[in-house]
Amino acid sequence: MSFEEKLNDWQRRTAAATDKRPERKSEFLNHSDIPIQRLYTSQDSVQSEEDYLQRLGFPGEYPYTRGIQPTMYRTRYWTMRQYAGFGSAEETNTRFRYLLEQGQTGLSTAFDLPTQIGYDADHPMSVGEVGKVGVSISSIVDMDTLLNQIPLDRVSTSMTINAPASVLLAMYLVVAERQGVPWQKVSGTIQNDILKEYVARGTYIFPPKPSMRLITDIFDFCAREVPNWNTISISGYHIREAGSTAVQEVAFTLANAIAYVEAATKAGLQIDNFAPRLSFFFNAHNDFFEEIAKFRAARRMWAKIMKERFGAKNPRSLQLRFHTQTAGSTLTAQQPDNNVVRVTVQAMAAVLGGTQSLHTNSRDEALALPTEASARLALRTQQILAHESGLTDTIDPLGGSYYVEALTDALEAKAWQYIEYIDGLGGAVEAITEGYMQQEIHRAAYDTQQAIERGQQVVVGVNQFTTAREPEPELLRVDPQLGRKQTESLAKLRSERPVEPHRRALAKLKETAEGTGNLMPVVIDAVRAYATIGEICDVLRDVFGEYRPSVF
Amino acid sequence: MGHPIRVLVAKPGLDGHDRGALVIAQGLRDQGMEVIYTGLRQTPAQIVSTALQEDVACIGLSSLSGAHMQLFPEVARLLKEQGAEDILLVGGGVIPESDIPDLIDAGITGIFTPGTRIEDVARFIREHVRESDAKLSAVDGILPGILGIDHIGIAVADVSSALLFYTRGLGLVTSHEEIVADQGVRTVFLPVGETHIELLEPTSDESPIARFLAKHGPGLHHIAYRVASVEAALEHARELGYRLIDEKPRLGGRGKLIAFLHPKSSGGVLTELCQHTDESEEGGSS
Repeated sequence: MSFEEKLNDWQRRTAAATDKRPERKSEFLNHSDIPIQRLYTSQDSVQSEEDYLQRLGFPGEYPYTRGIQPTMYRTRYWTMRQYAGFGSAEETNTRFRYLLEQGQTGLSTAFDLPTQIGYDADHPMSVGEVGKVGVSISSIVDMDTLLNQIPLDRVSTSMTINAPASVLLAMYLVVAERQGVPWQKVSGTIQNDILKEYVARGTYIFPPKPSMRLITDIFDFCAREVPNWNTISISGYHIREAGSTAVQEVAFTLANAIAYVEAATKAGLQIDNFAPRLSFFFNAHNDFFEEIAKFRAARRMWAKIMKERFGAKNPRSLQLRFHTQTAGSTLTAQQPDNNVVRVTVQAMAAVLGGTQSLHTNSRDEALALPTEASARLALRTQQILAHESGLTDTIDPLGGSYYVEALTDALEAKAWQYIEYIDGLGGAVEAITEGYMQQEIHRAAYDTQQAIERGQQVVVGVNQFTTAREPEPELLRVDPQLGRKQTESLAKLRSERPVEPHRRALAKLKETAEGTGNLMPVVIDAVRAYATIGEICDVLRDVFGEYRPSVF
Repeated sequence: MGHPIRVLVAKPGLDGHDRGALVIAQGLRDQGMEVIYTGLRQTPAQIVSTALQEDVACIGLSSLSGAHMQLFPEVARLLKEQGAEDILLVGGGVIPESDIPDLIDAGITGIFTPGTRIEDVARFIREHVRESDAKLSAVDGILPGILGIDHIGIAVADVSSALLFYTRGLGLVTSHEEIVADQGVRTVFLPVGETHIELLEPTSDESPIARFLAKHGPGLHHIAYRVASVEAALEHARELGYRLIDEKPRLGGRGKLIAFLHPKSSGGVLTELCQHTDESEEGGSS
């Protein structure tokens, strides 16, 4: 009997057996609506050596399905980069130095919402929000404090900042200047991904067109002046947190990436000059194998897009480098210790998917910002995976798994369909302006909520396996007086800084914004003249206007 | 209940996480409510002004940024300042258990933390809006605020013999008995689920029940609808041109406020409106 006959025979016998003893579900579908078969075999996976070379290739080689580096974690583990920031610049600086002492290898800065939306801490809209979800930074004075005693030539820093990314990058570069570190030597990442702010995260300021200009100005400036800076981190993370499926996460992120590349080439930039500094940011969610397949599919798709659609030649332009964070929305307020287990499984998926850096969430994040003890446990989770689990000893350990390869193909096929549809709408900017992505995500989010409420989707500790309410763990509290303190120090800054250079820098900024010149150098000058983030963004608001979303 | 409850779902402050707000908005719509969503970045003053303009019965606040202790109480304060504290205020998001008592003290009636079912949120809103909503607006000839059938009145010549059918026959239990002297009537109440059967026996020949019996013989005497506000319901009935027996609410048995509509307006069935007050023994929370 041939393999195929034997397989068919097995299928028949098994089907007959399930008539007597049915399986748990009549149909197994994952969240992306991909049907999951009872069994995968070599028939569902790579068919031949030729097929292998075309679809998988070798690590560090096109199409990078198995990883972007030739040795992956055998040379160096991923960067363990815990997102941190709360309260004042002093408090966050203390937490940063603590995390570095504990063996963390890169910094990741969370800014509070006023900073992210370009308001000073003393703005009326900032009431109640100062220092809450991140550190409050209004001027170069705060940034100096934040980075005090942190060697910027050795530590790479990621900053979750989007609409006012130019301003925070400018502040970082001015601090480097003051530390005597040349810009050629600083490295780090700004998120700088405005499209997903319109779609899912909400910290936009300006309308799409001037926002895209700010972004391509950064691409251009950094290619010349700060060559080791990742100028954007194109993010599926927040799209997923807003409720999308894994397929939508990949598709919408890559569609946004295509829009950035198009904007930059339209602005006259050479693809291989800026593309090597594009980076990505994905979510590691609950469905272990689907997540691994997602990372692999995204790598293969990006390589194809860059090579075939944009004609990139530099191999670094084709490599999808990405940061991963475990899925905050899967954390439960009930039985918070269960979250440690969720985070571990999600982090494993990120590692098996070949991530370049990783943030693991803390168990108490459905309740508040993490305490120091919870943040340490989250970091230890990564260290255990790296040093004890053996996951890191070979490259892409699940490559060739019948299931993972079939799932990688299925995810890719479904994601291409979305990208083609978005192309048909006129691209990502159009699709977002029309609310297309938002509606797709919302529909998926609502389906999930209903599945949970009907009990079709089990959330341990929430709709099954519940216990009587436990005592609340100790939580981190942000000083409610911080807003007042920041207001006082801003008043001091405004009265003490030299008036004339400040006025001139803002006038120059306005003039440049009204014209077409690169905004980065003038923003840097404004920061040097002690202009605050609110003052800089107000000048830009005057020239660019503000984004007003339609409510869909 | 002809009127859908109007709810404003609002995002105070700068928080951009609106998955929860959007899911709740749609969920409440699916539960039959009318939902308005403010969009992001609303100040407490904007939220209160929208709530008043849209004449909502409930505001649902959502914040995941930790700013709830400042922003939620501010919305409550402004509502009070505007004399609109009858609008039910609830909230949700990333809110530690230990903050909840202070928020409730500040006037946020319900706090829903992650993992709450939409059905439970909807039920909470319905129960609390019904209780406080004594002034639903008049539309399409529907009497506002009908909460259910409070009781069904049956005229009998002799309670003790009529009672046998209800107790021995149907297995009901007497919950309450009283003589209302000024109406010349002895009444016996028997609960049936959420409602009651009221047996009415005349105690004098001048009693309205005696006249009813003389004219129709024993049988169905009236149906009493429970309303949020007898006054509002009467006002509405008057606007619709219905004939009233009572121009104003009066005190019925057990602290209830009652009023009767004339059977001419209601197809021959005497109709009572009845409102439980704080003094009524059964309370008003069912």
